Amino acid sequence: MSKEKAVKKKKLRAVSDNIDVKNQFKGWLYLSPALILLIIFSFYPLLNTFRMAFLNGYNGLAIVGGEKFTIGIENFKTVINYVDFKLCLKNTLLLCVITVPISTTLALLIAVALNSIKPLQKFLQTVFFLPYVTNSIAIGMVFNAMFTRVGLGDLIQTQGIINNIIGIFGIEPINFVNVGSSWGANMFVVCTYIIWNAIPFKILVLLGGLQNVNKQYYEAAKIDGTSKIRTFFRITIPLVSPMLAYVIITSFIGGFKEYSSIVGIFGDGMGPGGNGQMNTLVGYVYNMLPKSNSGNASAASLILFGIILIVTAINGYVSKKKVHY
Amino acid sequence: MKKFIALMLLVCMLVCGFLTACNNNDGSNNPDDSGSQGSKTTHSIPTGDVTVTFYHTMGKNLSDVLVKYIAEFNKVYPNITIDQQTIGGYDDVRDQVITELQAGKQPALAYCYPDHVATYLRSKKVVDLNEYINDETVGLTQAQIDDFIAGYYAEGQQFGDTSKMYSLPFSKSTEVMYYNKTFFDNNGLKVPDHWFSTGATDDTSVEYVIKKIKEIEPTSIPLGYDSEANWFITMTEQLKTPYTQAVDKVQDRFLFNNEQNIEFCEKFRGWCQNGLMTTQAIYGGYTSGLFTNTTANEEGKVIHSYISIGSSAGATYQCPAKSDNGSYPFEVGIATIPQADASNKKVISQGPSITMLKQKDQTVNDAAWIFLKFLLTSPEFQAEFSMASGYVPVLKSAFELDAYKEFLSGANMTKDGIAALSAKICMEQESAYFTSPAFIGSSDARDEVGKLLVAYISAASTATQDELKQLFVDAYNRCVTLNQ
Amino acid sequence: MAEFNNAVKEVNVESVKASQRTSKIIRYTITYLFLGIMAIIVIFPFYWMIISSFKTMDEYRANVPTLWPQNFVFENFVTAFSKANLMDLFAHTMFVGVVSTVLSLIVTVFSAFAFARLQFKGRNLMFGLLMATMMVPGELYTITNYLTVSGRLPFVSEPVEAFDITNTFAVLIFPMLVSVFYIYLLRQTFMQIPNELYLAAKVDGTSDFKYLWKVMLPLSVSTIITITILKMMGAWNAYIWPRLVANDAAHQLITNGLRGASFTDEFGETNYPAQMAAVTIVSIPLFLVFVFLRKYIMRGVSRSGIKG
Repeated sequence: MSKEKAVKKKKLRAVSDNIDVKNQFKGWLYLSPALILLIIFSFYPLLNTFRMAFLNGYNGLAIVGGEKFTIGIENFKTVINYVDFKLCLKNTLLLCVITVPISTTLALLIAVALNSIKPLQKFLQTVFFLPYVTNSIAIGMVFNAMFTRVGLGDLIQTQGIINNIIGIFGIEPINFVNVGSSWGANMFVVCTYIIWNAIPFKILVLLGGLQNVNKQYYEAAKIDGTSKIRTFFRITIPLVSPMLAYVIITSFIGGFKEYSSIVGIFGDGMGPGGNGQMNTLVGYVYNMLPKSNSGNASAASLILFGIILIVTAINGYVSKKKVHY
Repeated sequence: MKKFIALMLLVCMLVCGFLTACNNNDGSNNPDDSGSQGSKTTHSIPTGDVTVTFYHTMGKNLSDVLVKYIAEFNKVYPNITIDQQTIGGYDDVRDQVITELQAGKQPALAYCYPDHVATYLRSKKVVDLNEYINDETVGLTQAQIDDFIAGYYAEGQQFGDTSKMYSLPFSKSTEVMYYNKTFFDNNGLKVPDHWFSTGATDDTSVEYVIKKIKEIEPTSIPLGYDSEANWFITMTEQLKTPYTQAVDKVQDRFLFNNEQNIEFCEKFRGWCQNGLMTTQAIYGGYTSGLFTNTTANEEGKVIHSYISIGSSAGATYQCPAKSDNGSYPFEVGIATIPQADASNKKVISQGPSITMLKQKDQTVNDAAWIFLKFLLTSPEFQAEFSMASGYVPVLKSAFELDAYKEFLSGANMTKDGIAALSAKICMEQESAYFTSPAFIGSSDARDEVGKLLVAYISAASTATQDELKQLFVDAYNRCVTLNQ
Repeated sequence: MAEFNNAVKEVNVESVKASQRTSKIIRYTITYLFLGIMAIIVIFPFYWMIISSFKTMDEYRANVPTLWPQNFVFENFVTAFSKANLMDLFAHTMFVGVVSTVLSLIVTVFSAFAFARLQFKGRNLMFGLLMATMMVPGELYTITNYLTVSGRLPFVSEPVEAFDITNTFAVLIFPMLVSVFYIYLLRQTFMQIPNELYLAAKVDGTSDFKYLWKVMLPLSVSTIITITILKMMGAWNAYIWPRLVANDAAHQLITNGLRGASFTDEFGETNYPAQMAAVTIVSIPLFLVFVFLRKYIMRGVSRSGIKG
């Protein structure tokens, strides 16, 4: 951004401030329908999560049974003392760090490619939307069929499609998801699944952003003889940067709450043979809920909340610098 | 960033205010509506209009049977409406009931497993059914109580205090052993009835038979066991080794980490490592699929098992599909599961029970009881429901009905007759049924021992004794830290 | 010499044109190849969902998964349909879906406008608070919200019957109405529209509302449609909440109506083929909605092209 532009922007900001100072309440007025519903159905539950987290051993059913709880940080201690807490934390963080950049990049490439073609564009758009109406259990079943190895020792009934494919290139079959498989192999499959799952939504949003971009920018670039790659980095990315910021921040938040994809592949056991080696923080939360153990679940959620808050703050800080409006 | 800090401070302040203002103030806690209904209050048949909600997991064909009997019930009690709802699976019913209990909107009747009831108990909203069973006007007669198969009836009393009855059995299943009868007959093998060989000539032990099968057919996995958790728990019962106990102190509830249990795991580990047996998790597919498999693998071999231990209710899955010429590729035999000690026969008892939850209006509970009594003391319902479901009746008299006898007489190895065949075997094992103590966290113990068995017997052959023992310690620690 | 130079130039132009053409062909080939491969990968689960719904339970349980059903069975669809009163379920779902989408759009547009354009104290704090609500796993909200709609209010020890709105359409619509995701998404789009336009409109004396309606919305059509699709699908796929708060015959939706009827077989085991059949039935209208709405996305795009 040039200095001149920045100065101009500042001036305009001053004008706009002047206009809106009188209409302080207007902002709140426009916000009020959402705000009323949010206060009841989001802020209050959030507050309640804090409350439950700080009541030692809080249990919703015990409350009904007339038990009382004392205020304290026992719930947090319990969560941190859980033997697999560190593992859950590690898995959660890694899943995010790996999947968000890859899926965003892929989705951006597909969206740009889709936007640049004429024939088949409508058809392919529909195709890329299809996973969105596909049930997540179906995706889980597919992954199972693709990666699973059925058999015992040397007696193998089926190696799964993926192992057959890599077998063509002379690579030894890998135990991806079955009993005895390594943490790394599991991580690979889960990441693939998450990326796969996340792409359609991102394409939808990014394509929407791309199609809102003024065609004149591209025409200008064409006349100037700017190379395609340069156009991509200098025009396309800055122009869809608000959408990119959106998908990156929301997929970070979604990634930290990852749970269902792991259940889809491994079942409730959250690991090969149910050994829990792919468990996440939200997995722990889900483990607590059937016992109505909302105190521990809330404490774990708040720990997660803290982490997401920090990451989002960093994200927000970066996007403030980089996002072009 | 300053904004965020300000935000956090605001939230903290609000929470503090919130905590002090309404600590323990959610819901209406009338301390005396918990357990004050002494057994002396009498119950009567409601005369006004009442609606009783009943949550279950029945699929379409089963709820049809239920609806038919609700219609019968309404001929006698037109004022009692039964609102029966399919909620999904057992876990869905549990989750929904837990949530509704917290809002005081729980159903009067719900399908349950003992673990669920143990959780619900904390709300003090589970009705002690003895209040009704022993009631003078609406209670059960001794003959009706005796008609229940004793092992099933006892399940409702296993929640610490045996004088309280928190559930009644609805329909039950157990584990049975399916074997490839054609193969056994052709090779002169005997059907095994105990696990471990007592000597080299002991040809009715699983140990002997599976080794023999492997010799005859090296590309087979002779034995498949469906549920690892069931296997572990059943072994502890058969061997009388500690598993869990219902006590207050969390650390003392989980007893499965002991030398005797390590010993049997070590045995099974040997079998698994030698390709003699597998389980669902280790094999990576349904063990019933392994048992009935006729598809060749990528190397052109057809991998089979010849013995498959699984639920009696899943019998149709253990029957192979007809081949193109209309005949079955092999005949299925069904037998009782192998035992460790002939004098202490044990087999797990599964399947839903029904629990009753307190309602604001006691007449709803009374009406629910009238319905429950109608349903559970009706041998006709029990028989019909069992024939439709593959479960077995919980009433002895249901077995005496002509319709059920006819069903059993049709027992054969076809897809239609195999359910009857497995029901027959269930009855033979009736005296051996056991259920494990239920408490908060008992389902964690179940999950953990299942995973433990898998991890133990499938661990790489290079695993040291210490590493293997550590698996037991880890499982124990997980159970404890999940329930603190 | 001059002639020669001209000739060289001409040759150069020709060759440049030719190389441009080949590079264009190569680029298109790569683009289509890339899209084609990605399309196959992405479509596979959808394909799997469809074929699974035609499999028998035995085939589903087989150890070697089949890529094509050995024999097609329609039984699963019959199972999925048989218990549910489908017309009612469709009617309820359409009603809830349409009403909540329309209301949600209104609420989202207003709040996104406030966040993107209006200056007021506490705006950023409010936005931060909104973002914070996304960061807690939803299931914790479910329990508290369930208590709220059942009339269990904070600071009140007894449940308030008047606030018990379970088993109404309202409880299916309002708690899920506001999505921070959508507000955020639309805010991002709104912020792309140059502020100069807004200031110019202000100088002309255009009201905020008119500006929003006449300028901002037409410029953000594709985002609005994206939100519509997402919200419709959300309403269409919601399961846990409807089952919890309105599972009576008068308010049952497609999801809880179909799933409740057919998810477990007689042995209490999940009947996946029947489940897939149910999901397929549920997905078809959604899919049609997308195919139908895609035209509007295009139209919206072309319109914004003219304006911009």
